Amino acid sequence: VRPDRGEIARYLGYGERPLEGAVARQAEECLAQLERACTPRQVYRRMGRSQLPFSSVELDRHLAGCEEIFLFAATLGAPADTLLRRWAAQDMARAVVGQACAATLLECFCDTCCEALAARLQPGLFLRPRYSPGYGDLPLSCQRPLLELLDGGRRLGLSLTQGDMLVPAKSVTAVIGITQEEQSCQIHKCAACPNVNCPFRKV
Amino acid sequence: MNFSTALKTRRLFFDGGLGTMLQQAGLPAGTLPDLWNLERPQAVEGVHAAYLAAGCDVVTTNTFGANAHKLAPYGVPVERVVGAAVANARRAVAAAGREAFVALDLGPTGKLLEPYGDLPFEEAVSLYAQIVQAGAEAGCDCVLVETMSDVYELKAAVLAAKEHCELPILATVILDEGGKLLTGGDIPAVVALLEGLGVSALGLNCGLGPDQMAPLVAQLARHASIPLMLNPNAGLPREEAGRTIFDISPAEFARQMAPLAAYASILGGCCGTTPEHIKALVHACRPIPAPRPVWKDQLLISSYGGAVAFQGAPVIIGERINPTGKKRLQQALREGDMNYLLREGLAQQEAGAQVLDVNVGVPGLNEEVLLPQVVRQLQSVTALPLQLDTSHPGAMEAALRCYNGKPLINSVNGKEESLAALLPLVKKYGGGLVCLTLDESGIPDTAAGRLAVARRIVERAEAAGIPRRELLVDVLTLPVSAGKENGMVTLEALELVREELGVKTALGVSNVSFGLPQRERINTAFFTLAMGAGLDGAIINPNNQAMMGAWRSYRALTGQDPQCGDYIAAYSQAPDSAPAAPAGELTLEEAIVKGLSAEAASLASQSAQAGAPALEVINAQLVPALDRVGQGFEAKTLFLPQLLMSAEAAKAAFEALRAFMPPEAEGTSGPKILLATVKGDIHDIGKNIVKVLLENYRFQVVDLGKDVEPQVILDRAVAEDIQLVGLSALMTTTVPYMAETIGLLHDKKPGCKVVVGGAVLTQEYARQIGADCYAKDAMATVHYAQQLFSR
Repeated sequence: VRPDRGEIARYLGYGERPLEGAVARQAEECLAQLERACTPRQVYRRMGRSQLPFSSVELDRHLAGCEEIFLFAATLGAPADTLLRRWAAQDMARAVVGQACAATLLECFCDTCCEALAARLQPGLFLRPRYSPGYGDLPLSCQRPLLELLDGGRRLGLSLTQGDMLVPAKSVTAVIGITQEEQSCQIHKCAACPNVNCPFRKV
Repeated sequence: MNFSTALKTRRLFFDGGLGTMLQQAGLPAGTLPDLWNLERPQAVEGVHAAYLAAGCDVVTTNTFGANAHKLAPYGVPVERVVGAAVANARRAVAAAGREAFVALDLGPTGKLLEPYGDLPFEEAVSLYAQIVQAGAEAGCDCVLVETMSDVYELKAAVLAAKEHCELPILATVILDEGGKLLTGGDIPAVVALLEGLGVSALGLNCGLGPDQMAPLVAQLARHASIPLMLNPNAGLPREEAGRTIFDISPAEFARQMAPLAAYASILGGCCGTTPEHIKALVHACRPIPAPRPVWKDQLLISSYGGAVAFQGAPVIIGERINPTGKKRLQQALREGDMNYLLREGLAQQEAGAQVLDVNVGVPGLNEEVLLPQVVRQLQSVTALPLQLDTSHPGAMEAALRCYNGKPLINSVNGKEESLAALLPLVKKYGGGLVCLTLDESGIPDTAAGRLAVARRIVERAEAAGIPRRELLVDVLTLPVSAGKENGMVTLEALELVREELGVKTALGVSNVSFGLPQRERINTAFFTLAMGAGLDGAIINPNNQAMMGAWRSYRALTGQDPQCGDYIAAYSQAPDSAPAAPAGELTLEEAIVKGLSAEAASLASQSAQAGAPALEVINAQLVPALDRVGQGFEAKTLFLPQLLMSAEAAKAAFEALRAFMPPEAEGTSGPKILLATVKGDIHDIGKNIVKVLLENYRFQVVDLGKDVEPQVILDRAVAEDIQLVGLSALMTTTVPYMAETIGLLHDKKPGCKVVVGGAVLTQEYARQIGADCYAKDAMATVHYAQQLFSR
């Protein structure tokens, strides 16, 4: 799966413009190094929506009409963190580009995993976009029950800091609604986020 | 018979999964099983009894999660839970009426250790120490550290067990099918660490079923010299109706385990295995004789990421992180400029170093604090094993404790004082030990004299329980300019100690040329001779092309580089001599604007060599270049990566100019600014961006790092009389800590200004939390600082 170069540019503040020259070369080098060093891993679990031990107004809205959900977690693993720290010590330009590459690689991995999950659903069922703790009004503290239900510590090596940040840092947890309404799945993940002033917002 | 004797004399069977059995007995999902030791002791005892009835020799206490961190929400003391757990197991053993043992179970803490997570190493040691103390007091027979996927946490647990009981320690890790730990380590790294720490058996549990473990077990057996232990799952996990299930049958489990019994003398089960699985296992494998571990003579050292074996061509040990005679490094150490050290280390790694020597001995600095700090920092950016280099035993122990893996230890010598201080440390923490052939009467003049000292060190080490394979004898290199025999004596001694003592050798090579011109010539020749004499570890400067060339050539010439692959990879592209000067008419200002670091450094040196005062170069070229780039960034004609490339080029130019600056001008750049990412937040990239830009504009940055307590920020601001503090936060949840920090600073350090930035902040938000300035992007902090200090 080829990570979207346009997405890397967007994370770096280029908007719709492409990366060029030395920055583009650096991005390719960072991606290659990340891909060599990291073994992305995922874990998921399908369950009834009523089994979800937390909720919020916006999550409820996001999951409207879903009777079942997937809990999902993915990570690039500890080696990505080591590379990001290494780049930050050596060269901040590379650190910033590498950060954008790692974020894109992780998103791309999550997308691939979710496409595979969607493809294995019974006909007539579809997946909503991923919704993560920290989006909208869903507090970060939901990471804890989510990780426990997924056994994310043992299976992915994920853990939480005292402030409920996921470590290794290049990791994602999410709730994904399973729905019969295909139409409701055609929304971009940015559209689901209320942070309308976000500099990286796409829609 | 005690457990150790049993382990030496026969095959031992462990029990199987505990959690699933307790759930069958009614433990609700989501409840910490460890609590049942107190709440439902009979149920726990019942599970142990069932496993004993199935024929196992060892039951594991129900203490997988019984650490203070996991028990905190329930308000139950660790000692009570662990005491009850051991008692439950002991009762089951007593009732079984035959010989069986109780293993105290230590699982992962549930927290990731620093630098990946926020659990300090010593806190992890303390969490485990509490369990071990309670378990040993309650009468367990051995300690089982299991289900570890991080070698650092594994070390913390084993160390705690060593320090708080005398019992045998067994340790098993989870590997994926590729043989890797989740944190990136591999089998040789696990073996190196655990054998260095002196555990009684090591192996694998959880993660995989027996079939998937098979190839990994063979690999384990190739490296390990101690008994192996296997507790696999009942196959691979499968998802069914929202539940994880493991479903190979007892018969199938036993069938898959039988071939592994030839490798491992301790067998049991993990997730999904039941008393029936263990019964079938015991039935199938009891008749198979327990394998005898085969001693491996190889010296293995390790980090969290992998191991380095001493075999064949010498291992390259990079010598550059040593402040002796290096003013710039001394200054970096005094100023706490860790990035400078890290770059020195990484440059050596890129040049081909396989191990990095770390020496931070600067008069007036506390090595006991500094060495572990540097070790932790280096290990946060590189997976190369380190060679800890200090003559201060306290600093050595502090570094050995916190080192993630099994390091090289530099060094012990034949003096009584040195042997007495170092050998117990090596025995406790593990490590390859560099042994210098000198003693109270100095360095012997002859090869036979050095052999005699080496022999005494080897004997003392073995008597202290350190196997000979862990020793690297350094027969010492003296300058050939000071005595014509010096080169030959060293080479002769090197061969002698290898032949007579069967030990590995190490050598600091470049001392041979001291006092001579063009030292590289003689160093390279001597290095080649030493390699021919069988040198195992070469302490050299890997940035020196000629030395690395000699090494790569030696490997190719002695058949250690198949198809000359490494040699070709290193030299097919490179011109014979690298051009140093940048091409064309590029000016320093343009080089910086274009973000060309190498060219900027070279042009800056040229200007200074041509007689331009360094400060003038800075003011006339560096600053205008930075201003141009900053304006471009603000006008959105160029973007953050380009701004930072220019910043790095300016930094490289400044670094080059330092050599030409009068010493009094060096430390006296502009006002101090303190930067920190606030408590709770671990994302520090924004802060690091601001730091490099502020430094470009000659501000001195005091960088407190990430996840910093408000009080720590205040204390430092007061101690250094800081006038401007910059705070960053990425997540909304951490902004309250930002507000708290600002309040504290304004209250206790009036007049100190605070500038804030970060993805979630806005002008309005910044105002609400009392910040003096909101920095919307990387350049905004620079402008505010310039304005504040009227520069």
